[in-house]
Amino acid sequence: MIMHQKNNPQHRNKLRTLTAAMLSVAIAAVSAQALAQQGSYKVPRTPDGHPDLQGVWANNSSTPLERPEFFGDRAQLTAAEFEELMRQADQIRASGGDALFGDGFLGAVISGEVRSYDPATGNYDAAWMVDRNLENRTSLIVDPPNGRIPPLTEQGQARARERASGRHSPTDTYLGRPLQERCITWGMPYIMAGYNSYYQIVQSRTAVAIIQEMIHDVRVIPLEPKPPLDERIELWHGDARGWWEGDTLVVQSRNFSDKSPFRGAGANRTFTERYTRIADDVLEYEFTVEDPTTWERPWTAVINYTASEDPIFEYACHEGNYALMGILSGARAAERAGLVPDAPIDQE
Amino acid sequence: MPNDQTSTGFATMARNLVLTAAATTLLTLAASAETYAQSSQVLTEVPRTAEGKPDFTGLWQALGSAHWNIEPSAAKAGPDWKLGAWGAIPATLGVVEGGPLPYTPEGLAKKKANEADWLALDPLVKCYMPGVPRANMLPFPFQIIQGTDNVVMAYEFASAMRIVYMDQPDFDGPVPAWMGHSRGHWEGDTLVIRVTDFMPYTWFDHAGNHHSDQLEVIERYTPAGPNMIMYEAEIRDPETYTRPWKMSFPLYRRMEANAQLLEFKCVEFAEELIYGYLRKDAPADRVPPRGMPFTIQELE
Repeated sequence: MIMHQKNNPQHRNKLRTLTAAMLSVAIAAVSAQALAQQGSYKVPRTPDGHPDLQGVWANNSSTPLERPEFFGDRAQLTAAEFEELMRQADQIRASGGDALFGDGFLGAVISGEVRSYDPATGNYDAAWMVDRNLENRTSLIVDPPNGRIPPLTEQGQARARERASGRHSPTDTYLGRPLQERCITWGMPYIMAGYNSYYQIVQSRTAVAIIQEMIHDVRVIPLEPKPPLDERIELWHGDARGWWEGDTLVVQSRNFSDKSPFRGAGANRTFTERYTRIADDVLEYEFTVEDPTTWERPWTAVINYTASEDPIFEYACHEGNYALMGILSGARAAERAGLVPDAPIDQE
Repeated sequence: MPNDQTSTGFATMARNLVLTAAATTLLTLAASAETYAQSSQVLTEVPRTAEGKPDFTGLWQALGSAHWNIEPSAAKAGPDWKLGAWGAIPATLGVVEGGPLPYTPEGLAKKKANEADWLALDPLVKCYMPGVPRANMLPFPFQIIQGTDNVVMAYEFASAMRIVYMDQPDFDGPVPAWMGHSRGHWEGDTLVIRVTDFMPYTWFDHAGNHHSDQLEVIERYTPAGPNMIMYEAEIRDPETYTRPWKMSFPLYRRMEANAQLLEFKCVEFAEELIYGYLRKDAPADRVPPRGMPFTIQELE
């Protein structure tokens, strides 16, 4: 992880704490309400008559991508379990210990222990963490029914082995560091919650912009028919085409590069997203990822994005990347001193 | 428009360009009528939003060599003889209105030092965000997506981007930013954007023209036919210049039926330049980069 010169989340947290705190209390109620209202909620319209999805949206869900096996096929917590989750979450927050990003939150609640993901150099602490939206769901994955990523095909397993064996040593060169640390991309889709996980949607009649705060990436979604992009052009974030299905914006992306992996899938994936505003302050984000060369079947997840009142900040990642320079410089200094550097590498 | 002379110049240039564009369009149409019929992208009048404002949504790009030097300049040799003619620097008429840039003495000294050592010092070479108005001038397209409350500009170069906040003149920039903080409003058919809260590190071109963190840019986007925008940027920076000055150039719609924004995520092309000297097996010619916006403390 990189600590950024000018875009310190602590600064953001000052601005967002109040809203986030209010949201996290309200979210359980909101989600339930939203679900109940799904039939009756009337999505606002743009002047062009399209459903209006515009605004800044936060992915701060505490629900893990994959369901802990412990829950089996059960997609929701019971009322008693949910109450217990909220109680333990308060405790973890109040302890002021390590920050928990991504799936770490529910993991800590279930196991009762905070797993430090970077014990070598020390963790980001709780000041870096926004309050998380607690939901009574057991996984973001809604299909397959066990809430888990389907098994890898043989081809997928072979590719994973090949990738692992071709990996650079973590400190011999910048190429050994993860793409996030090199400020190239946080992946497509970027679904980790709780760490600059903000998106802004801006719509015109003919195109939609989906801004991802991480590394100031904008995905341009054309809504008018366009010829498909030549298959020889492979992109970090794929090539998107969009259309409206009722009140839902559907975005389909192909032409991914093998350099841009997502949970083991590479160039062969088709990535389909569905954006539906189900309440004024909830944007339901559903994605299906399909790649018969990687998984035995497609899988689908749903994340409830919540409205944020704050703007997107400029995430000048590469421009302030003294961390990467420091890591490599430290490794060379360790070698000169006769020490073997032993920096762990962050996992995806 | 700054004065009558320029307005007339713009009007003539706009007319000629529209004519040329129209002729080119016809030719292209004949050549690939089928493709165009499918895409229905040929516009005959300025597209407008439901609210009647010009709709700039689309893919735009500047032409010419002003990204090398915003001031007039003859062609000259490039920084590396191995690159031959391809690496030489083309001539440019410049885009600055009036005479030489009104630098303060200190500003001019820094400009000269920048220019003499531009390859090592130009932030663009390291794939840093280009700033404004440089981003609009690069030989890369950028996409405008125009909503009602916000206008987004997504640049192919370095995946740089700007969000223009419409009709929120009192919304101050939350942090200093490489691409500044943009607030827009309409004056008739002209989109006027005030950009402030800049980092001091970006340049205006490869020739080392620069600014401080006091920079304020007033941009004006005026439609000149369906496929061209006349772009003007007023530069205010009392720390670097003795008076405000302007540059202007046209932005052209990319007319290809399959035109779309691609990726030029150039970080990976600049890493060897920035971090190559820290590789375990670094060749002897890899040296620490200069002109960095931050420093680290090297251990002995």
